[in-house]
Amino acid sequence: MKKLVTLSSLLVISAALAASPADTLVIQSAADVPTMDPGVTYDTSSSALVDNMYETLLTYDGASLTKLVPQLATKWTVSNGGKTYTFDLRKGVKFHSGATMTCADAEYTIERNLVTNSGASGNWFIAESLTGSQSNAADDKSITWAKIDKSVECNNAGQLVFTLPAVDPAFLAKLAYTGQAIVEKAYSAKIGEWDGTEATWKDWIGKDLTGSNLSKQPNGTGPYRLVRADANNHLFQAFDGYWGEKPSIKNVIRQKVPELAARQQALLRGDADIIEGGGRSVDEAQIKGKPGVTWVDGLPNTTSTAIFMNEKIQGKGNSLLGSGKLDGKGIPANFFSDVNVRRGFSYAFDYDGYIKDVQKGQGMQRTMLMPDSFPGYDPKVKKYTFDPAKATEYFKRAWGGQVWKNGFTLTANYRANSVGAQTAMEILKKNIESLNPKFRVNIQSKQWSEMLADSKKGEEAMILIGWAPDYADADNFMYTFYASDGYYSPRANWKDASVDKWLKQARSTVNVAERNRLYSLIGNRAYEQAPFILVPAPVNYTFQSSRLSGAPITKAGFNPMTSLNWKDLSKK
Amino acid sequence: MLNFTIRRLIQIPLVMLVLSVIVIGLTQLLSPEQRAAPYIRSEQQAARLEQIITERGLRDPFPVQYGRWFSNTIRGDLGFSKASGKDVIPTIQERLPNTIELTLVTALPILLLSIWLGTLSALHKDKLLDQILRVLVVFGYSLPTFVLGIVLLAVFYAYLGWLPGAGQLEIINQFAVGDLRRYTGMMSIDAALNGRWDIAWDALRHMILPAVTLMIVLSANLVKVMRNSMLEVLTSDYVRTARAKGLSSRVVNGKHARRNALLPIVTLGGFLVIGLLGGSIITETIFAYPGIGQWFVQSALQLDIAGVLGFTLLSALLVVVMSTAVDILYGVIDPRVRFH
Repeated sequence: MKKLVTLSSLLVISAALAASPADTLVIQSAADVPTMDPGVTYDTSSSALVDNMYETLLTYDGASLTKLVPQLATKWTVSNGGKTYTFDLRKGVKFHSGATMTCADAEYTIERNLVTNSGASGNWFIAESLTGSQSNAADDKSITWAKIDKSVECNNAGQLVFTLPAVDPAFLAKLAYTGQAIVEKAYSAKIGEWDGTEATWKDWIGKDLTGSNLSKQPNGTGPYRLVRADANNHLFQAFDGYWGEKPSIKNVIRQKVPELAARQQALLRGDADIIEGGGRSVDEAQIKGKPGVTWVDGLPNTTSTAIFMNEKIQGKGNSLLGSGKLDGKGIPANFFSDVNVRRGFSYAFDYDGYIKDVQKGQGMQRTMLMPDSFPGYDPKVKKYTFDPAKATEYFKRAWGGQVWKNGFTLTANYRANSVGAQTAMEILKKNIESLNPKFRVNIQSKQWSEMLADSKKGEEAMILIGWAPDYADADNFMYTFYASDGYYSPRANWKDASVDKWLKQARSTVNVAERNRLYSLIGNRAYEQAPFILVPAPVNYTFQSSRLSGAPITKAGFNPMTSLNWKDLSKK
Repeated sequence: MLNFTIRRLIQIPLVMLVLSVIVIGLTQLLSPEQRAAPYIRSEQQAARLEQIITERGLRDPFPVQYGRWFSNTIRGDLGFSKASGKDVIPTIQERLPNTIELTLVTALPILLLSIWLGTLSALHKDKLLDQILRVLVVFGYSLPTFVLGIVLLAVFYAYLGWLPGAGQLEIINQFAVGDLRRYTGMMSIDAALNGRWDIAWDALRHMILPAVTLMIVLSANLVKVMRNSMLEVLTSDYVRTARAKGLSSRVVNGKHARRNALLPIVTLGGFLVIGLLGGSIITETIFAYPGIGQWFVQSALQLDIAGVLGFTLLSALLVVVMSTAVDILYGVIDPRVRFH
């Protein structure tokens, strides 16, 4: 198969035979588009379309991850000790329906998100800021209509006012998230969505908007409007009534093409401008350097991945524990609670080898479990290195010498079909087992759905999982990984009182310097305690037809937090 | 004949009922967490796993879940297919005509080609032509569809540039399609009825590679069956009698032998059409052809239960209808067959 694909690529004649028209951008992807309703958009393929049809109050300034600029707002002020945000809204903004955007639309949008706030949506983090709870009214009885209604209101001057129960330094970044894109109240109600009134709000609590009428008939203020969506195509046209600069690309077609070889051929023949690739090794071998293709490498990566060492493995008779004792045939449930074990494992992972072999040299070992491009990241925090001597030293200390004397058998799971996760686990297994013939690490693949459930219950001994950002703020990563009540806590069961205190302090101040100081403290503490093995982060890359140009597809203009803005592209 | 047809039609809802119980029952073998997994695309969403399970009633007892599905179905709501991003019924309405169109383009050539080559092979038994045809049959029979599809795509699209690549229409025509008045849902026919011969031709061009792929792969078995059937008939008494009466080879082979040799082809041809109407999963996927086969594979991969159920019920309907049609056709071809 691989040979055939390579052969087909070699057979391709010059891509100078550009087939797609110059005013039309052609995107081919294997992924489906689950929804076009911003209220439930929480995946990259949906965001890629929604971000071009809809707009948020503010957005990231070019490639910056820290500077937010107005979009549907023109300015904002912060008052009441950081708990009140007042937004002036842009005048003369038109929806694709032809209606003019008003403050009522913005208020309706946020309220709709707070009312529905389904499990599939990303509304939990805006809810946390505005109602003090991640849940909707069905799961948290403290969420009332009054609470939702008061949190976002239009004042007499037509300004949008947010009232937060507590300071949230990430609030503005959260508003820049796709899910908070503004929808039109009257239009939405007319096509059968919530009418925005207290009388009907209960009917919409927890409602999954994935297949909503708004998803089928989107209507935003963005530069592109949906013309038609059929089985495999989404067709867009530049919106004539757009308030901003007119896009140079008039038409956009997003096609679903599941077969990688077909997508590659379309790109190389000039029939497609942007395609979903097949991962770095495939793309480097079959696309990079081909005529008519521009390859942009060294782009920031905003995911963080770790190998978790669970200090309190749950589950009665959990088979991952083997004998459940330190007798060489298993591990006790609290095996990883000894810091020496964790350090031993941390020194046994070959970070450079992983970067070289798995990431083809395009990787970076981070100091903390957050993107190095985010504010709060401290490059000075110490890192573990691959050091078998030190690993041995710590294993000899672990559990009063019993680990070294008796050995252990540990079973670790990795996500099925994830080559990166499998390779990382194999590296760890090889290095651990080479330290002492009594050390045994069994690795096995597991379906993601099963891992989800078992890891949530704390029943996984050692797993590799990652996190991608919801919004560009350190808290989104640091709290998730390091807090004892963070989302990932059941997977590690690591609890450090100081770290918990620092995390809470960091999320309740808007003082950037203070937050950075606190995150450095957490980073250093995590290095000492080694709750996770930090898997090197891959370097991002992109490639597209050489006929395309524009800031978002350059190294200087690429922003990992935003979808590709078609309006900023041009095609020759 | 009428009673037989009515009996068959009555079977349809019963078959569907049993199938729906089986499919929904099978999904219950998975844990609620596993059934919730398709709605989770990221660790972020995984954080809300329990909420998703509750919202979708995935922990409800089986009768409750089945009852919910059944009452919605009775109201004409087969649910929302995550894989297509649309409700099931609009998805079928949109995709089935595309599959029918591909079937129309593919089935008849396959049947005619198979009958012709099978007959030719039998008439030249053990001669060079027969040997060549038998080798080609083995080749076509053993060639994986995805390999053939990718090779054809690489040669005729990427290298020679004679035929279009994946999809149903050229980009330029995708935008024009919105203005067409739709009569049948089949692109080439609707475009022709609108007087847009350029779009009709474009749609047909896009069907050439998928159709050729299917023809090569699916003809092989039929050629083999036709050859064997023809050989059997050629050695029968009535053919010998016809020859003894001095009838020409053309009349004996064409009128007497081939007609009787067609019986197994009718049966297999029926199944072929059922298979094609059920969506050519691999071919539609390779060529990004928007038929129901492509939808089914996406639904299955994503554990899109509404999609899988919708497809299963549609397939059941097609099987019952087509097998009834085949049985009726049998009676037409062979008067010895009687329905009681």
